[in-house]
Amino acid sequence: MKQDSKLANKQMSLSIRAGLLIVVMAALFLETTNVLQYVFARRVLRNEASLRAEGELEKAQIHIQSIVNQAEVAVHNSIWIAQWCLTHKDSLYRVPERLVRENPIIEGSTLALVPSRGGLMAPYVFQEGGAGEIKHLSLATEAYDYPSKEWFTKPIELGEGYWSEPYLDVGGGDVVMTTYSMPVRDADGNICAVLTADISLDWLSGLMGKNSVYPHAFNLVVSRGGQIMVSPIQDFIMRKTTDEVAASSGDSASFMRVNRALRSGESGEVSLKINGKGNIVYYAPVAKTGWAMAVVLPEDEVYAGIHRVGIYVKLMQILAIILLALILRSAAKSTAGFEVLNKQKERMEGELHVGHEIQMSMIPKTFPPFPDRKDLDFAASITPAKEVGGDLYDYYLRDGKLLFCIGDVSGKGVPAALVMAVTRSLFRAASAHEFSPQRIVTYMNDSMAETNENDMFVTFFCGTLDLTTGHLRYCNAGHNPPFMLTDAIRPLQVDANIPLGVMSGFAFTEQEVDMYYDDALFLFTDGLTEAENAQAEQFGLERTETVLHARRSSQGHLEALKSAVDEFVGDAPQSDDLTMLFIHYLGTADPEQSERHLLLHNDIQQIPQLADFVGTIAHDMKLSQSLAMGLNLALEEAVTNVILYAYPKGSDGLVDIEAILRQNSLEFIISDSGIPFDPTAAPEADVTLSAEERPIGGLGIFLVRQIMDEVHYEHRDNKNFLSMIKNI
Amino acid sequence: MNIDIAKDNGVVTARLEGRLDTAASMEVAPIFESLNQEADKTVVLDCKALSYISSSGLRLFLGLRKASTVKGGKVIVSGMSDDIRQVFMMTGFLNLFQIED
Repeated sequence: MKQDSKLANKQMSLSIRAGLLIVVMAALFLETTNVLQYVFARRVLRNEASLRAEGELEKAQIHIQSIVNQAEVAVHNSIWIAQWCLTHKDSLYRVPERLVRENPIIEGSTLALVPSRGGLMAPYVFQEGGAGEIKHLSLATEAYDYPSKEWFTKPIELGEGYWSEPYLDVGGGDVVMTTYSMPVRDADGNICAVLTADISLDWLSGLMGKNSVYPHAFNLVVSRGGQIMVSPIQDFIMRKTTDEVAASSGDSASFMRVNRALRSGESGEVSLKINGKGNIVYYAPVAKTGWAMAVVLPEDEVYAGIHRVGIYVKLMQILAIILLALILRSAAKSTAGFEVLNKQKERMEGELHVGHEIQMSMIPKTFPPFPDRKDLDFAASITPAKEVGGDLYDYYLRDGKLLFCIGDVSGKGVPAALVMAVTRSLFRAASAHEFSPQRIVTYMNDSMAETNENDMFVTFFCGTLDLTTGHLRYCNAGHNPPFMLTDAIRPLQVDANIPLGVMSGFAFTEQEVDMYYDDALFLFTDGLTEAENAQAEQFGLERTETVLHARRSSQGHLEALKSAVDEFVGDAPQSDDLTMLFIHYLGTADPEQSERHLLLHNDIQQIPQLADFVGTIAHDMKLSQSLAMGLNLALEEAVTNVILYAYPKGSDGLVDIEAILRQNSLEFIISDSGIPFDPTAAPEADVTLSAEERPIGGLGIFLVRQIMDEVHYEHRDNKNFLSMIKNI
Repeated sequence: MNIDIAKDNGVVTARLEGRLDTAASMEVAPIFESLNQEADKTVVLDCKALSYISSSGLRLFLGLRKASTVKGGKVIVSGMSDDIRQVFMMTGFLNLFQIED
């Protein structure tokens, strides 16, 4: 007796020691993944910061460019009048006056003669106050001596248009100004005068808006000569150069580096220490003007997300270790009594086969499931094993999105089959009003974990694919990662979420990826990779990949895989269900796709620009004249709507127009950050009314609907988005 | 956008030339105001040289049509291109005016 208990004790301590070893190994393993995750997350966050910064720079760039172009074009277009006026000296002032009167952005202008060609003469015309009052002045005074000024000498020296260094207009309320000047030539090609346009730059400081993601980020704009034009420190603006700031700062080496980068005329990124804290500076030149601009992001804000995530992950891992310890303990206790159960189980499985058949019939099995859809080639298959297993898949279309899932219930037999049926019903219930895979999975998990008395769990992958955009959102609950087939075949990156039913309240993570034309997603259960032949070898991922390399239809891929598995397994019995889903995406981003942009102010005078914008697109897409006119009309109506109503009267706002050119369609996306307004909700115009009954308004959106094939409105990120698609 | 107005024997002919988009419509609104004053007569809108029209342009046409109903005149739209005619058709404007080639 004593001996026996000693033996039992020894066995016990052995299993405890083995258990401890497993727990310690698991903890070590998790810590290693922590470190890897930290490194990876830093890289991702840095990339994101750089994308955001570049986006902001590009947007500002487009805006500055449009104003610079307006001024240049206005001056260029006036050159011929200037040439004419030079022969009618008493009407010289007409040229600058016309420029100032017709171009609200031009605040002042002069036509200054080369003294040797006609004496000192420089009538200056300028706007005073906002009321559009126009005043005249002569610059040909001894005190001012215009022939010595940079704006006069430089364009003559260069023989072409020249943007002056920005300067403070001291008399005009300390506004930052810049001048574009252009030489005027006589009939013999000799320069005889200079025509200028003064532009206020007070819009510059408001151009790059407050950065909501990085609260202490700020922007810089500096001139060719290093004058600071935009800075968070007001006192520096036009009063200090970057050289002076660099020289007087605590960490001058770091400032010097930024100074050099900004003045280099190139774009890139560089680090900057301010008061001992690290910052990343993204910079880019502004074409034509010789200016440079930069977005400065504090490093601690760029990487802020890491620490928060780190704490969550740590907590989860501690829980996982405890869970593992518990599982090991219960496993040690329950190995006995196995034999007896086995016999009962066999009998029950025979009966269950019928039940299993019924459950299989719950799964959609019509193929091809969406014969009308050209943007999707979808196939799915399930091959049940002899004994009852618990694989499942499901899919359906709602609002142009494909919702799909695949899952594998742990274990076999009655409980597995029941859990499979429950899982499938839960998926339908959870996804009925929900597109977020993370929320679908969380709901399913919480429902299952509450009632899960058998410690059953389900590895589950759930996704929603937006067939219009190719955007795939997914959540993986412990299932094997699917393969993504692009130009290469690689496993889809999946977060390490736990399977369904293990623990309620678990915070599942959602991931997303964009699928492009001809990409495919292949999902499977371990019945594929773990299919064994008589030598107990497994089919494995490598053989799977080899089959996927060939080019086939979705259905063809599944059939090829099935016969490859059959051939490999030979006579060995199939031990597990084999379930596969193949999603071949053929929508949206076809190889022909390209994008165009146009940024307008909320000024009705900008409407004529739409004609050129649509004209170029129509030309490139080889569209007929009348289709081009229709598209122009639809776009004008939608944009006019924004210009007139989105922003409060008198305030400045932007309208962003994006055109996406595809092989078989053209899409316009019009966005603005004005008052939320859904034009598609407006009542339709009644075109059958008589002239007396017809209201004056309401035609715009009606025309848009008549001309375009699809019109959608969405309000997100505090912006209005109107998407209009024309099938071609 | 250019509008030439000629008066002959009690018929006012307005010759429209160019693109009547939203910006142009705002510009020529005063000219249509003056046409509305003449709406007791026959007003011919000659669209041979009109290459484009948007809803704000259509609104000016409708305004004139309403004025002419009140004052007892007549509005004739002539010389529309196929594309312009298409816009008139979509919006039901074809039924509101007397159309001539």
